[in-house]
Amino acid sequence: MNKVMKNALENSWIELASRWILGLTFIYASYHKILAPADFAKIVYGYDLFPHIAINLIAIVLPFMELVAGLALILGIYPRSAVLIINGMLVAFIIILSINLIRGHEFDCGCFSIKKAGYLSSTEPMLVRDIIYLILGIQAFFFRGLRKGCVPFRH
Amino acid sequence: MDLKKLAKEISLLLGVAVVLALVVNYFSLTGIALVGRWDTSQGVITAHAKNDVVVDKLNIENVKIAKLIYDSGKTLFVDARSRDNYDDGHIPGAVSMPVGEFNNLIDSFIDQHSVDQPIVTYCSGRTCADSHNLARLLMDFGFSDVKVFIDGFPEWKAEGYAIE
Repeated sequence: MNKVMKNALENSWIELASRWILGLTFIYASYHKILAPADFAKIVYGYDLFPHIAINLIAIVLPFMELVAGLALILGIYPRSAVLIINGMLVAFIIILSINLIRGHEFDCGCFSIKKAGYLSSTEPMLVRDIIYLILGIQAFFFRGLRKGCVPFRH
Repeated sequence: MDLKKLAKEISLLLGVAVVLALVVNYFSLTGIALVGRWDTSQGVITAHAKNDVVVDKLNIENVKIAKLIYDSGKTLFVDARSRDNYDDGHIPGAVSMPVGEFNNLIDSFIDQHSVDQPIVTYCSGRTCADSHNLARLLMDFGFSDVKVFIDGFPEWKAEGYAIE
């Protein structure tokens, strides 16, 4: 088992796949949020965990953190740092989703725009999805070999 | 592991993200204010976007006033929620016009109602801006007397008023 884990951690193709899957996912995830920050701000409000004064700032900045980190992963610019940012976001998402799952909090404003943007998914599948992404992120972070498809002079 | 190098790279990436976010938000037509209104006691929640549909001067903020207007019998109540929500219960006599189906429904609505018909729109309460969105769309089509009952169906029901 340990040998399988070691091989997986050292496989540069798995590392490349992890980076591309995470990169493309986060770029895609940022797209709707950047186009409609007001809808995303309402989702942030719906988690009922953030001070009101911070909601708009989170809605403005978080999508660009996803975009920049995602692009950096795809292009191979500072890949370990980019994947650390993504892992940080995933850990935060997992904690937020878990808290709301435990306390049984689900937000549905009954709003057309929120439904249309596809934001209303159930918590459990989102949690499982984020945990899978985090496993990929951990592989990409701890990989010690030569990374494929990176800008060579940047790392 | 070179932590200093890692911290420097992370700061650079996050710095780029923050600057880009603020610049794009400033110039974007859908950009939002740095601080929104997220306290429902102050009205319908809103991020104060540039294209915001929430207009406070249209608001009916008290369910009893909404009931008085309803009892006058002159005002048409229009339900902006989904058809399913409407079917589950609505204000008696209210017309269903889910805001997502507005384009399909507006022609027959215009055929049935004159533009000076007093209208009150409502949806699911102060976390929902669909009633404001619907009010704006109706005003774009020439309806001049449109108000928004911001507490919507949940408060109407909670007050014990008739529903159907």
